[in-house]
Amino acid sequence: MQSYWFGDVEDGRCTVFIGDLYAIVDRVQSISTSMETYVPPDWEQAVSCGACRDRQDYLVRLQAVCIAAAERWIREQYSKKDAELLQMVRTLDEIDKVINLLSEKAAEWYLIRHPAFSRKYRRTPAHALVKTMRERSKGALGKVAGEIEQLENTRTVLAKEVSSRANDVMPNTSALIGGLVAARLMSQAGGLLSLSRLPASAIQVLGARTALFSHMKTGSPCPKHGIIFQHRRVHNAPRGIRGKVSRVLAGKLAIAARLDHFRGVVEPEFLETAQKRIDAAGKES
Amino acid sequence: MIWIGDVLVSRGDGGVYNERMLGGARVWDPYRSKLSALYYKGKGVELTAAMRVLYLGAANGTTVSHVADYVEVVYAVEFAPRPMQDLLEVCRRRRNIIPVMADAARPEQYAPLIESVDLLYQDVAQPVQAAIVLRNCVFLKPGGAVILMLKTRSVDVRKEPSEVFHDTIDTLTSAGLVIQESTWLAPFQGDHAAIVCIKPEVQGLS
Repeated sequence: MQSYWFGDVEDGRCTVFIGDLYAIVDRVQSISTSMETYVPPDWEQAVSCGACRDRQDYLVRLQAVCIAAAERWIREQYSKKDAELLQMVRTLDEIDKVINLLSEKAAEWYLIRHPAFSRKYRRTPAHALVKTMRERSKGALGKVAGEIEQLENTRTVLAKEVSSRANDVMPNTSALIGGLVAARLMSQAGGLLSLSRLPASAIQVLGARTALFSHMKTGSPCPKHGIIFQHRRVHNAPRGIRGKVSRVLAGKLAIAARLDHFRGVVEPEFLETAQKRIDAAGKES
Repeated sequence: MIWIGDVLVSRGDGGVYNERMLGGARVWDPYRSKLSALYYKGKGVELTAAMRVLYLGAANGTTVSHVADYVEVVYAVEFAPRPMQDLLEVCRRRRNIIPVMADAARPEQYAPLIESVDLLYQDVAQPVQAAIVLRNCVFLKPGGAVILMLKTRSVDVRKEPSEVFHDTIDTLTSAGLVIQESTWLAPFQGDHAAIVCIKPEVQGLS
């Protein structure tokens, strides 16, 4: 017997499936087709058993079913908790880039207006410089500096939201490496499901794509760490054992991501032993 | 194919992606669409009004909308939700595109929906591009054509594009497909090759 979206066909006899649009969608998803004996559906068969009037009607009905199925699937995908977090963290990283670019440009502009000004020998943090620029510049430059400050405020708010959302969506990974970095890992992997399926060795170099491909192509040294470099145990470790620490950390993160995906709740026992292991890796030599 | 002067066009409702119009027809840009690039290279399969097409890797529906202007019906398979959102918008305005939300590497998921087709167009950038073609050949009528857009960089970045190209041709030939023609899509698309093959009339294709 062959099962199609409009009904079942056996020995040339066809039984039409009766149901509304979503019943048909459910039916299509539940059919398991064996590809060895499969024969593609024939629209004339659908007409002969009364599923549709003619060729035109066949296509119109089929399109309605397929659109409904796709819409439902998209809604399901978007309602997953990690879908919004993904966009949030990507927007955050983009805002960071914009702030940097814009402040650099504004500073260059400011230097032209104030020939005696130099940033040498001053420990002026970037945001303080932006504030000075806003206060002392008239016209568009002052406005640009003002916009940068606004953007910095937005960034602070967004970073907090990302962090707390990550704590909720991926509690174990966040506990090990911090909400922000956890969210960045997830964004690089393309989602929590994808992250949970990655081997530890891949998580270790997530975000070091250029270095990894140049390693694979030309045989240059392989990257030791990607995004996880942002964890203090990694960047504070002495150069010689950084690779080791990031390897251990990545191993534990891989487990944490799987816990997050399949259980979704904090696992204190795991976190305690993992934390100990990571701390110990930084002390061995 | 419809050419106005040396510009490839398709006849249908415009404004899908702000494409240029020429004499009331939609300009089909070879720098944006690999299939258009193939026609600009003087190769490819002539699209006719009676054709049924299975299009794997439909993405945003840009190329799909042009194909749909030429043929009777396009079954457009796409797996990612974001491009599918755009594809659905195109489908709502074009009655002859059937959107299929499924993984092209798993035809059993959408087998109940797809009738036999005259042309199989494969533009899924995956390491297993040739295998995806072979799995979907079950929908192809004997004598039907396959157009495979080979993104060599997605198959294996470490290998030379020409090496990937020859490996793919070997895979297709040993599965029983007959290679009709093949070409690189330069200067329109970098590191992309197109392979056109035919499923033989006699059965025996695994």
